[in-house]
Amino acid sequence: MLTALAAFRPCGGHAASFAVKDLQVLGRAIAFLQSPPGSDAVIAIAYVPGDAASRRDAEDILALIGAGLQAGRVTLRPRLVDINNLSAAGATIVIAAAGAAGPRLSEATRATHALCVTTDTEAVRAGFCTMSITTEPLVKILINHAVAEAAGVEFVTAFRMMIKEM
Amino acid sequence: MTRAIQSIGAIGLSMLAGAVPARAQSVDYQAMEQLFGEPVTTSVTGKPQRAAEAPANIEIITQDDIRRSGATTIPDVLAFVTGVDVRTYGLGAQDVGIRGYNQASNPRIMVLINGRQVYMVDYGRIVWESLPVQLTEIRQIEVVKGPNSALYGFNAAGGVINIITYDPLKEQVNLASLGGGTQDFLTGSAVGTAKIGDTAGLRLSAGGFNAQDFAPGPLNKTDVLTRQSPFDGNFNADGRWQITPRIEAILEGSYGTSRESHPTPATYFDTEQIHQWSLRVGVNADTPIGILSLSAYRNQVGLDAYLINPFTLKPVNGYEQQTVTAVEVSDLLKIGTDHTVRGGLEFRQNADQSSQVGGRLADADYAASLMWDWQITPAVTATNAVRIDHDEVSFSGTPATVAGLTATTFNSAHIDAPSLNSGVVWKATDADTFRFTLARGVQLPTLAQQGLQILPGTSGPVGYFGNPDLLPSITWNAEIDYDRSLPAISSVLRTALFLQRTDDVIASFFAGPLTILRDGVAYRLADNVGYTTAEGFEIGIKGHSGSGWRWNLSYALAETTNHTGLDAGGVILSGQLYAHSVPEHVVVAGIGYTFEKYEADLMARWQSSFLDVRSPPTPGPLVLVSVDNYVTLNARIAYRVIDNVTVALVAQQLNAPSLITTGGAPQERRLIASVTARF
Repeated sequence: MLTALAAFRPCGGHAASFAVKDLQVLGRAIAFLQSPPGSDAVIAIAYVPGDAASRRDAEDILALIGAGLQAGRVTLRPRLVDINNLSAAGATIVIAAAGAAGPRLSEATRATHALCVTTDTEAVRAGFCTMSITTEPLVKILINHAVAEAAGVEFVTAFRMMIKEM
Repeated sequence: MTRAIQSIGAIGLSMLAGAVPARAQSVDYQAMEQLFGEPVTTSVTGKPQRAAEAPANIEIITQDDIRRSGATTIPDVLAFVTGVDVRTYGLGAQDVGIRGYNQASNPRIMVLINGRQVYMVDYGRIVWESLPVQLTEIRQIEVVKGPNSALYGFNAAGGVINIITYDPLKEQVNLASLGGGTQDFLTGSAVGTAKIGDTAGLRLSAGGFNAQDFAPGPLNKTDVLTRQSPFDGNFNADGRWQITPRIEAILEGSYGTSRESHPTPATYFDTEQIHQWSLRVGVNADTPIGILSLSAYRNQVGLDAYLINPFTLKPVNGYEQQTVTAVEVSDLLKIGTDHTVRGGLEFRQNADQSSQVGGRLADADYAASLMWDWQITPAVTATNAVRIDHDEVSFSGTPATVAGLTATTFNSAHIDAPSLNSGVVWKATDADTFRFTLARGVQLPTLAQQGLQILPGTSGPVGYFGNPDLLPSITWNAEIDYDRSLPAISSVLRTALFLQRTDDVIASFFAGPLTILRDGVAYRLADNVGYTTAEGFEIGIKGHSGSGWRWNLSYALAETTNHTGLDAGGVILSGQLYAHSVPEHVVVAGIGYTFEKYEADLMARWQSSFLDVRSPPTPGPLVLVSVDNYVTLNARIAYRVIDNVTVALVAQQLNAPSLITTGGAPQERRLIASVTARF
């Protein structure tokens, strides 16, 4: 079932940077935050204003989640957010749409103590985002410890032992 | 006692309910398994990790595997694990060995239920049927092959079997099951989970079986006298409380009684009725200085034994009171991004009070351990673990001066023994994993080996005595593993090559190599006797398809050599044969299919011949028995009648009405029908 869902992409001839399986892993991973969301987790999908590709990717991710996506004990509730308005959005979990992971996002998530999530491992290595998720062929999670610490994002110890940190 | 535990649990649950929201804070097996898509274990290093990344050869048997096996005992499940040997002497009377070593009352493996060690202190053996756990409440069974003493201490010299039950705080299991079959087998079990608010959970389980095992026909005289119909009944309570989001408390208690006929290390069958209870309290706290864990437990066993003196064929009744008291503290800490360390301290006291040891004999073990796990690169991890055990013997009672034993002899005995586990895991690609491990396992002498006192004339003309000056037996194990995932066929291929050497092998008092005359008295003394080696190879593939098929096929080679002198002169003194005492070649195969409401599985195990011993039909020395190679074929078919009710039919040893599988009586085919309702 999960495999079938993972293969699902919104119509339009392009692939979203997140697949359903990535979002499922995201939903399960945030349950291991020291301050986890409740059963409903508001997720900001951050895009770069004026960047059509970024906006389209954000809308594709929004379409994948729909009104809500159940992932473990959490239901993801999505909200499209202009990267410049992240502070006002008040979300503590931010998905970086294509092109969004950069200094501005890094600064915004640090200021709002939000967890930034991407599927782009290099963005995490560069310090623009906190956590990257890849799910094929294996589930792999990479966390930039310095970025997490700067944003005050903390995971439970057992989870930190299960993933890679840098 | 049980009522008291229930009352205390209920009060505690009521007080804590609704205080704070429950959430993952230590090791949430369910959430982590669902997140990473594969089972998670803490059995190898103490830290949570994917089984594939653990620095040891580990097999994880899931609840699905257990259910589909149709097994009625844990050893029946383990019999289809590559590299595991199971000897079945009768219903519930079984011994489990890993990689080349197995014997009656095998002391070389460590078995735990949620971290509580469940060995008997007399011989370090496991009485499997008395374990207070229902198969249906087991989340997974983790089998670590090879020594893991640096984490668990003695008895883990051959391997570790860790039984993990469902977490009542996070997982709801509510079911009842009834079954019956041939050999007048009747079994039932029930598991219920209550969750109070979001912060407390309590799981209660009870179950047991009753059967008429063997017809007297195939049994020899001593076996006929000792073997009685086996039964088992036990109750278990498991409570968890999330005191704060970062602190979890655990309270577990169990009570059980069972009767089984099982061979002693001397291979004579001994019918024991066991009354056991246990109580464990624990706290896990996720703190800025790591996960702090405290666990304290006590196991108590009252044992009524009924055995036959092999020299006079007269019954002998015995009574023992065995206790294990353990306190363990540990800190598991991630330092920076690449280092995880675990420090642990442990106090453990084993005590045996019986006429067999002439009073009360106890071991007090003080241990300190340290594990360091270093993520050298994203693909390479190195793990090193060391543990030091300091063991002191104490005795109060009447020592057998005839064997030169005095209270001072016992009370001055002590052992200091280091253990080691090292491993490097290299994930060469996402599909390829190499594992290189080296281990030094320690097997401390058991209480019986240190202090048994059977005076001359009690069991024949010769006396048998333990030896408080025994050295620990040391097992070195070197291993190379290679695993490859095969996504094209949804399978994983696993291989292992291992070399093992065990020094200072502890020969039981029945097998002590010397018959010494002192003051005109002959006796045998437990002793350290030479060494044994084992080498082997394992290869196996396991997979499943999206269409409902599943399969597994494996081959295991384990060759042991014996340099103990125990079989010198062709006189067999005990079941400690070592060379050829387990089958060298084993092939396990299985295929299963799930379609709509049906679930069908077929499992086969072929093993080559091996040597065992058995008690003679008349007074005299033990008899060497060659057990021919044989195939066991088990089948299970289940049908979901309605959403929450399943009926199943299981055939064990479907291919043969009777098979000789040990030196004991032949095992009979078993047919079992069951119905399970889930709520």
